[in-house]
Amino acid sequence: MEQVANLLLSGLSSGSVYALVALGFNVIFKSTGAINFAQGEWVMMGGMVAATSYAAHWPLGLAILCAVLAVVMVALLSERLILRRIKKPTALAVTLMMIAIAICSKSLVMLLLGKNPANLPGFSGSEPVLWFNLRIHPQTFWIVGITCLVMLATHWFFERTVLGRAMRAVAAQPEAAALCGIEPRMAMALSFGLAAGVGALAGTIITPLTLTSFDHGTVLGFKGFSAAMLGGLGSLPGALIGGVALGTLEALAGGLISSHFKDAVAFVALLLTLFLRPTGILGRGAVEKV
Amino acid sequence: MNPRLLARAALSTALAFGFALPPAAAQTPIKIGSILSVTGPAAFLGEDMKAGMELAVEEINAKGGVAGRKIDWIFYDAESQTQKGLTATRRLLDQDKVDMIVGGGNMSGMAIAMLGLTEKAAIPFMSTEGAMDIVTPIAERQWTFKSTADDEQVMERLADYFVKKGIKKIALLGDSSGFGQSAAGQLKKVAPRRGLEVMYETFNPSDTDMTPQLGKIKEANVQAIVCWTVTPAGVVFLKQAQQLGLDKLTLVHSYGFVDQRYMQLAGDAAKNLLLISVKFPVGADLPDTDPQKARIAALTRAFEAKFKRKPNQFAAQTYDAIYLARAAIEKAGGTDRAKVRDALAGISSWPGVGGIFNFSKERHSGLSKDDLVLVNYRDGAFRLADYK
Repeated sequence: MEQVANLLLSGLSSGSVYALVALGFNVIFKSTGAINFAQGEWVMMGGMVAATSYAAHWPLGLAILCAVLAVVMVALLSERLILRRIKKPTALAVTLMMIAIAICSKSLVMLLLGKNPANLPGFSGSEPVLWFNLRIHPQTFWIVGITCLVMLATHWFFERTVLGRAMRAVAAQPEAAALCGIEPRMAMALSFGLAAGVGALAGTIITPLTLTSFDHGTVLGFKGFSAAMLGGLGSLPGALIGGVALGTLEALAGGLISSHFKDAVAFVALLLTLFLRPTGILGRGAVEKV
Repeated sequence: MNPRLLARAALSTALAFGFALPPAAAQTPIKIGSILSVTGPAAFLGEDMKAGMELAVEEINAKGGVAGRKIDWIFYDAESQTQKGLTATRRLLDQDKVDMIVGGGNMSGMAIAMLGLTEKAAIPFMSTEGAMDIVTPIAERQWTFKSTADDEQVMERLADYFVKKGIKKIALLGDSSGFGQSAAGQLKKVAPRRGLEVMYETFNPSDTDMTPQLGKIKEANVQAIVCWTVTPAGVVFLKQAQQLGLDKLTLVHSYGFVDQRYMQLAGDAAKNLLLISVKFPVGADLPDTDPQKARIAALTRAFEAKFKRKPNQFAAQTYDAIYLARAAIEKAGGTDRAKVRDALAGISSWPGVGGIFNFSKERHSGLSKDDLVLVNYRDGAFRLADYK
């Protein structure tokens, strides 16, 4: 019983991070139709920048803020200097370009910040909190809390603010949106900034639990992508559901069956989604009217 | 005669006599090829291992080389990818035509892949990696040796400690790499004959959460947990073990984890940790009667003078490997491959920095359990915890 509760808790915290990564995938997919394979690298970059700043004796809050801003800058620069120069920015061209950007980001971090793994302290220490018989790392609360807040904020942004609605308009019908005076390129830049910011934040909140190093991003990106597919690509609540479901499944498979299967869960989930319900749990199929 | 033609004739004569007939003293250098991973996930170890080789080659060449011949050292980075390691091996064999290969990418799995090529090419290969499968089964490893202790010996040494402390039930948490799996394979052989009950769990080197495995181990009520990895996941293990209150048990990490940086990352979570290690990291703590003590101090001084930082046991591992290559080539009286191989197999009671090396035709792994100790980490340094 205690074992299962521990597993669920660990699934919830890694699932929350997957959800944030998936959110980044979804935001960019919504506005460009492309899969942003640099998302995982941005998560890693956020963790690395925060850890490096913290190691240079910056206060923790400032280090995190700096990390988020730095990664947003990298994303905006990639968008401005590379993606905007593509003659025909089709979804496929952007996706391929993102793979290149992912590889460059990883190498950049390795060259600038080094190959050593880096660490951040828990936001409120690392003394486990006793709750019934469970020993919970306080960082777990931060991770789950921040994920919920970010989810709510993004939802509010897309539903309630003019900017968010404008972005949705561009995603739905670029020509019509342009006629109404919305610059589609602006929407693309905004979605990159948003995805990078959320990714970097995910990187900083998970680092106290798992450490980070320049090669951590790829796996995280893949897990986030699986979570996004599972929940439904492009759906914001889908990211949350997909992430938490994937994290929980992974933890349960690792703990109850065998740790050999833990990483396979994401692959199997991805395959099953593609076979059985390609639109994901909450996704809607693309309808093309002729 | 046309003056230009004359000049050309003179030049070609000079070329023919000046270069085609080298003076007897300048013999061809001995070519030693090395492959390590100085980038990628295993880069953590690779940098120091490369430095150890560099130092050894430099020292040997400064003292006049091997039997009057300098060492021409060719190094390739395998980038922690087996495929790249294999490409580099082919290049060493086909293009560089080296006389011997030292170093197998500092990943056991890569060394095992590489020896498929080196065995076929019948070239002596001194691996600097850990896994026992690198040198067993001996019938398929005629040309392969290694400068590290066998996992069987490591497990015997650990079992000695557990028996001494009355520990009977343990868990082995090994990563899914060649390093972790080889350890599990050897423990399965050693545990029954030493009366140890073991539960086996694994994790992936890229894992960031080990709660599932640790939860299972917690339920099994073991007395000690042994973790086998060279990756930062070992820090996650320590932190989560502490979080689940498992740090009251005896926690043990392998010789692949004896690294200051890991200890600093683990911080408080490493306070009760024991690590099985060669004697190198605790050289200063050894009793004066131990012959290893002076050799470790000497390498430390030379390394610090050259690199301005402290060496670790991984640097010692590769330093020894280059010197073993020299000893074998010297003994063989040249680079005849079969003679070098036989000379390597004949090395016994050879004093290295990592320990006393004994090779034989049946055992291609140099160190034994007598070269291993248990250490802990106190106040920013590794200290001797269990000597014999």
